[in-house]
Amino acid sequence: MNNNTADFFWKLRMLRKEPLLVVFIVILLALLTLFVIYPLFMIVRYSITSDGGALSLQTLFNVLKNRSYRTTFSNSIQLGVISAVLATIIGYIFAFTITRTEVPFKGFMKTMATIPIISPPFVLSLSIIFLFGRKGLITNGLLGITDFNVYGMHSLILVQVLSFFPVAYLTLSGILQAIDASVEDAALNLGASRWKIFWTVTFPLSLPGIFSALLLVFIQSLQDFSNPAVIGGGFPTLGVEAYRAITGMYDLRTGSILSIMLLIPSLIAFLLQKYWVSGKGFVTVTGKPSQNRTKIDEKHITIPLFTLCILFSAVIVLFYGTVIMGAFVKVWGIDYSLTLDHFRYVVSIGLRPLKNAILLAVIATPLTGLTGMAIAFLTVRKNFIGKKYMSLASLLTFALPGTVVGISFILAFNDRPFMLTGTALILVCVFIFRNLPVGIEGATSALMQIDPSIEEASVNMGASSFQTFFQVTLPLIKGAFFSGLVYSFVRAMTAVSAIIFLVSARWNVVTTRIFSLFEVSQYSDAAAYIVIMIVVILAAIYLLNFLVNRIAPDTNVKARKGFK
Amino acid sequence: MGLILVLALSGVFAGGQKDGEAYDRLTIYCALPETEIPSYVEAFKAETGITVDYVRLSAGEVLSKIQVEKNNPQASVWYGGNCDTFIAAADMGLLEPYASPELKNIPESYQDPGDFWAPVYVGALAFAVDRDWFKAKGYDYPASWNDLLKPEFKNMISVAHPGSSGTAYTILATMVQMLGEEEAFAYLSKLDDNIRQYTKSGSAPPKDVGLGEAAIGLAFSHDCLKPAVQGYPVEVTFPQEGTGYEIGAIALIKNGPAREVENAKIFIDWVLSKKGQDIYSQNSSFRLPVNVNAMVPQGAINIKDLPIINYDFIWAGENRARLIEKFTVTIANKDNLK
Repeated sequence: MNNNTADFFWKLRMLRKEPLLVVFIVILLALLTLFVIYPLFMIVRYSITSDGGALSLQTLFNVLKNRSYRTTFSNSIQLGVISAVLATIIGYIFAFTITRTEVPFKGFMKTMATIPIISPPFVLSLSIIFLFGRKGLITNGLLGITDFNVYGMHSLILVQVLSFFPVAYLTLSGILQAIDASVEDAALNLGASRWKIFWTVTFPLSLPGIFSALLLVFIQSLQDFSNPAVIGGGFPTLGVEAYRAITGMYDLRTGSILSIMLLIPSLIAFLLQKYWVSGKGFVTVTGKPSQNRTKIDEKHITIPLFTLCILFSAVIVLFYGTVIMGAFVKVWGIDYSLTLDHFRYVVSIGLRPLKNAILLAVIATPLTGLTGMAIAFLTVRKNFIGKKYMSLASLLTFALPGTVVGISFILAFNDRPFMLTGTALILVCVFIFRNLPVGIEGATSALMQIDPSIEEASVNMGASSFQTFFQVTLPLIKGAFFSGLVYSFVRAMTAVSAIIFLVSARWNVVTTRIFSLFEVSQYSDAAAYIVIMIVVILAAIYLLNFLVNRIAPDTNVKARKGFK
Repeated sequence: MGLILVLALSGVFAGGQKDGEAYDRLTIYCALPETEIPSYVEAFKAETGITVDYVRLSAGEVLSKIQVEKNNPQASVWYGGNCDTFIAAADMGLLEPYASPELKNIPESYQDPGDFWAPVYVGALAFAVDRDWFKAKGYDYPASWNDLLKPEFKNMISVAHPGSSGTAYTILATMVQMLGEEEAFAYLSKLDDNIRQYTKSGSAPPKDVGLGEAAIGLAFSHDCLKPAVQGYPVEVTFPQEGTGYEIGAIALIKNGPAREVENAKIFIDWVLSKKGQDIYSQNSSFRLPVNVNAMVPQGAINIKDLPIINYDFIWAGENRARLIEKFTVTIANKDNLK
């Protein structure tokens, strides 16, 4: 008997002890197969078959032969790497400053680090034009430059870093909170300098989070469509080319193949991340009592960090301030007299799409959050058949451009046996499976900090895996849980490309309406909608924070204040 | 756990539809701006009592959607968008021919011989110009395609990419039909020096002009007029040597929901009628109606008074993929090849 078979039987025996857990794992695997693998399979099949149904690799060869696509491919990767590195650095600075130092205005900084996920695609691009364009408030009004070129890679990097760094921040703040305070304090008490503690303790321990953040931003940048489409200028990316092939050349097959190609770098990044992180020890939370974290208050550390965060927050205030101001002026960019007309207009054309969006987001958010935590818990802690499949499948929908996700869902669910198009369910499913990875990555990184013996103790005392998960694990990783919830709520509210093919007449949502207003130059009306959305989303974030603290109260130490 | 709840909830949402006797609903895919759509569906409801549920998509997106929904389309009518998208859809076997009785009031030159789609509005290619910029510089507005090549317009012209916009493809096909293919590409490659950026959407160039990002934007005249309505300093001129135009269309989607077919035909008849076409004069859409009895919107220019060329839609449809590919490789992405 070889090792594998023995291992297999061992897994079976372990699982037999907890039949409910087995059932749950089977359901989860089935759902991932149905909502991730099946649509992906359908679109791959579609792109390599001819209309008659015969296998045809012609389109694939044409794409591979095309020199222009190859350059586009490397453009996308270049952009992805730069955006990922910059966004992660900025996210880390924010997360570190907020969790580790004694500085004022933390609430403000937290809000600033979260707000940019609330960016319906063209918003930042429009702001950048109003601020830095030819008639821009800064370039022209302040500096007198009339020929600054806002289109191209430089603007694209700025806009992507601005819109994606919150994901890095959310992931990293979760993990920095989870690192047990006593490890760093022990080093401090032993006389190590702050600098040394950072490089030898904090930084290495936060590596899983850093890799997660890099992975998440890299993937998002690759599949981003709306920013490159509006501000990319002469810098073609794969997501934009895929959209062009589909809606301009009427060539669904080429578009699908280009999009599926985007999965390759994403998967490589995913495997590299797993490889680097696996086998290293990150455990710091062991269940032994730990002390209040001593916050850094040395001026030479806090002042530079604080300045960096405030400067970057100022950029965000500038960009979003431009949008907010746009909602209150007569004609954005032309006539700056104040008015509330745009809000009256928005109310007059009906708030039903907004209510739809909120309803769908409210349904999808807890499901996404809990499923994400469950997948992270299972893949880090449990041994079962199909574990690698589970963690890989949960990432795929996130890595595909939204347009293609939408098309693959129609291919999969517009016909028997799974007739779902036109229902709200299909939208909820897209939201869940597309937004899982942020929660999963955060929770996986956090779980690596936590000694499994805490949970084992709970199981040994007779608790089931479910009780252990809800009463022990979830409170310990609530930072990641919260990030997962926030991300999924905001993304569900602001998704455009993934759902544009799936919204039905009855389930139209707010983002498609904002986009339409933008199309007819009613920028201020669009801005008014966005202001209303920002208010709704901020309210939701504070509510989620309250609820997460209620459900999973901080059992450890008072000083480990939850994310607020 | 949580996911089981989804399945339970699905029943709640999916159960929303009810089967009625005289069915009074209709689902359409609409490629007109969402701000315009209510004015059509409300007037139609007031007239017929039929409620129209609509999904707003761009024309290319409608085509992709009905392509993948082929076995079970979710809508009966596709309203709006350049007819060359409809021609492509008819070629793929996605449309159902329907000869509306109203076609007798519409010039035959606009119509599809196979009646797979019906013309609803026309729009001529025009130049949107930034009034403030021209005033400040003291230049004259461009009055011809050749004017666009003037060196003072370097980096000041905005036009959409034909690979993502039917408007831009109409420009490309117009140039090829006017000048011949070689000349046309030589022209476009010279024009490239003056191009600020190739936008994704066909209606974006006039917006770029409104925002001051470009001094001249190329688009259909109805899109050129929209920023002006919102208060942006945009004016419209036409090239004197001739210009191309688009025909906006409407069509019946093949195999759409069976119970909607009658309502779908009533809707198409209504859109083509004087009543349906007069709305273009009331909702700031500036579309030019094709029904000879309908009113021409104020501020819009009647296509009869414009130097339009004899634009060949069939040829344009047939050569589409090839010309776009050539444009993408030799002009828009030429930096990629360096």
